[in-house]
Amino acid sequence: MTEPRDPRRVPRPARPAGRSGASRSPATRRPAVQGRPRPAGGTLRPVSPRPRLRLVALALTLVMLAFVVRLVQVQAVDAAAYSAKANENRYVPVKLAAERGAITDRNGVDLATTVDAYDITADPSLLAPDKLKIKDAPQQAAALLAPILDESREALAAKLDQPASRYVLLARQRTPQVWKKIKDLRKTLDAKAAAAPKSAPRPNVLVGIFADKHSKRVYPGGDLAAGLLGFVNGTGKGAGGLEAQLNKELAGKDGKLVYAQSGGRRVPTADTQEHPAVPGTDVQLTIDRDIQWAAQQAISDQVEKSRADRGYVVVQDTRTGQILALANAPGFDPNDLSKAGPDRLGNPALTDAYEPGSTSKLMSMAAVLEEGAASPYTRVTVPNRLHRGDRLFSDDVDHDTWHLTLNGVLAKSSNIGTILATGQLGTTQPQANRVLYSYLRKFGIGQPTGLNFPGETDGILAKPEKWNTSQQYTIPFGQGLSLNAVQAASVYSTIANGGERIAPTLVRGATGPDGRYVPAPAPAQSRVVSTKTATTLSAMLESVVDDDEGTGAKAKIDGYRVGGKTGTSNRVDPKTGRYHGYTASFAGFAPADKPRITVYCAVQNPTHGSYFGGQVCGPIFQKVMAFALKTLQVPPTGAQPPRLPVTFKPGE
Amino acid sequence: MTGQGGRPRGRQRLAALLPSAPRGGTAARTPFVLLVVVLLGSGLITLLLLNSALNQGSFELSRLERKTGELTDEQQALQQAVDAYSAPDELARRARKLGMVPGGNPAFLMPDGTVRGAPGPVSSSSTSLSASVEPGSLGPMMLRPSAPETPPASVLPPTSPAVRPAIGPLAPSTPGVPPSPGPLATPVAPASVLLPAAPPSPAGRPSALAAGPSPSASGR
Repeated sequence: MTEPRDPRRVPRPARPAGRSGASRSPATRRPAVQGRPRPAGGTLRPVSPRPRLRLVALALTLVMLAFVVRLVQVQAVDAAAYSAKANENRYVPVKLAAERGAITDRNGVDLATTVDAYDITADPSLLAPDKLKIKDAPQQAAALLAPILDESREALAAKLDQPASRYVLLARQRTPQVWKKIKDLRKTLDAKAAAAPKSAPRPNVLVGIFADKHSKRVYPGGDLAAGLLGFVNGTGKGAGGLEAQLNKELAGKDGKLVYAQSGGRRVPTADTQEHPAVPGTDVQLTIDRDIQWAAQQAISDQVEKSRADRGYVVVQDTRTGQILALANAPGFDPNDLSKAGPDRLGNPALTDAYEPGSTSKLMSMAAVLEEGAASPYTRVTVPNRLHRGDRLFSDDVDHDTWHLTLNGVLAKSSNIGTILATGQLGTTQPQANRVLYSYLRKFGIGQPTGLNFPGETDGILAKPEKWNTSQQYTIPFGQGLSLNAVQAASVYSTIANGGERIAPTLVRGATGPDGRYVPAPAPAQSRVVSTKTATTLSAMLESVVDDDEGTGAKAKIDGYRVGGKTGTSNRVDPKTGRYHGYTASFAGFAPADKPRITVYCAVQNPTHGSYFGGQVCGPIFQKVMAFALKTLQVPPTGAQPPRLPVTFKPGE
Repeated sequence: MTGQGGRPRGRQRLAALLPSAPRGGTAARTPFVLLVVVLLGSGLITLLLLNSALNQGSFELSRLERKTGELTDEQQALQQAVDAYSAPDELARRARKLGMVPGGNPAFLMPDGTVRGAPGPVSSSSTSLSASVEPGSLGPMMLRPSAPETPPASVLPPTSPAVRPAIGPLAPSTPGVPPSPGPLATPVAPASVLLPAAPPSPAGRPSALAAGPSPSASGR
């Protein structure tokens, strides 16, 4: 605008100057302009236009300069800051949630997996009477939603009837099908409202219902292996069990998508940055789902029957150290944690430390045999009472003097016989203690199992110098030291595996996001006793189950050679710290001459019926072992058992 | 240009500046304008096409995304249903409903014809993993009267306490069975008849075989 006016204005003052040769007719001029110079008259000499021109030019230059400076500042100096500010609104970052990896059993059956779920929410203010022109909109909406959400109608109505509120959570973690049903219902209501005559508006009462998409962890087996698998917390992070231990692998890495938006829509031509989410690793456990189920059934039944505090069953593959089942009772359902008490959420088979009792006599016998202090045929005369240290020791039953072989001491589970036998480990008692201690350590007592399970206990095994007077005589028969169920099972697996201990493992392998299966690293191996000792011990353990005088007759499986040992120990009540009640246990493996499977069972504080390990846990061992042998298709070898002598006749 | 009267002057000036400006200038204007119009028009149309293609693509994308979501949801729902059916607990429950009982001690038939293990018939309660499963099924209900009676029968004569356990498991199980009167009536009668004749334990076995035709087959 300024440009065309300027050239016209510039000649204006010049015109009076060129008065002499005026080429243009005055009629062309505008009257106002025409009138002005006239009163001035020819006497007034006009000012030269040049300074004014210069001034204007200068002003314009200054203005332009200011513009240029600002331009440079915006476009060059602060360009990054401004473009960042612009991008803040234009580019929308979206989190791409990584899918949590599945946990499967050894055959690839899902034990924990992730599915989509919706939290159903509502904006109650949209249902307010003055908005919808319906008085009982919340009640109507509640009546429609109650059957779909499986919630009580009154509770929903109360949640929706808060006209001042903008957000309520109606139901958590519903399936996509539920949300679809609500959407369909809303659509039909919309159609109805549209079809209704204008005079009677029928607004949609479901208008304020929304859904938030989440992912949900589901455990298809319910309480199957729940203690082992653990659970995830409200934010989807592992909070217990293997879910917590392997959280880093399972969680994967969240991705990010940044795209340009305009009015809420994605701009297709604008560039987008996408960092795809890295899905979590699928973890394969060594657990066999069916054996796990059988173990869990058996122990749950027995715990209920004995009205016991709790019980555990460990099933281990003797040749690989892999744990095939790790069952706890009572358990919980990780799909619905609200019903589980906090004391049930753990995995007591690994977190409980308790005194094993007679099942640990196997380690004492292993030490005695390996050190050459005795043989299975060594004769042990067992009196009714034995005075050692400050105490009088007895066996679980009152008896006349028994004439037992060392094999018989184990078969009849004689405490006195075990004290006498381990006394031969050294010339002095402290020396014998040190030898026994070294064997207990080699069997893994008082040491981490290597599973790295959250909350796992190492057990308690004091150094031999610190064993008190009675401890040095009770530790040989399993009191005065404590361990967890997996450690106990590992002791028997060691003997079953020919004296070589293989650290127990729970994870068999993992399938990474690239789809490649990576087997877990091989577990640590260490030799504890010689193969010969292990074979002898197996034969001795057979006497426990097989012999008429043995304590473990209930564990017998017809057609198989089974080796095992009962245990009935005084239990330390965790509340009072004093001995109260019993721990019944049984450990063993089969087939005894070519072992494949170890089963360990313990029941804490059975209060109803028998509390003896052979009575309480023997049948569980039998059931679980028979099931495992069938599942893994392990045939009996058909060889005859050696039948080592249990007693001897004095004087022969 | 500037004014109405300035045209001839401007032309002259231009001519002076561009001495070679020919009279062909007027002749070449039409194709030039046409070219420009065509260029502009085609550009506009291309842009329009491009835009609608992009929009088409984005519609297609959102449609496919929605479909993927629906199919994923369906797949997950079906997978969960399959998992629920194949869960060991559920399998055991349904097997019991069909009258099956858990197998006994494992036995193997080797390739050379020898049998390893100790095969034998199984009754429902003597074997493993039965107690927690609900008794509302046909098989165990028919077998159960014969199973508990074997141990007490050798000790006790058929007095009234011996009869009670036979009825005990039956009574709570009736609501679980749809055709209740039929199967309920039959096992009670043979059980009460069997009891006096049962003292030797092997006698219990054929009775179990006779009482329940379908479960007896599964015992092998």
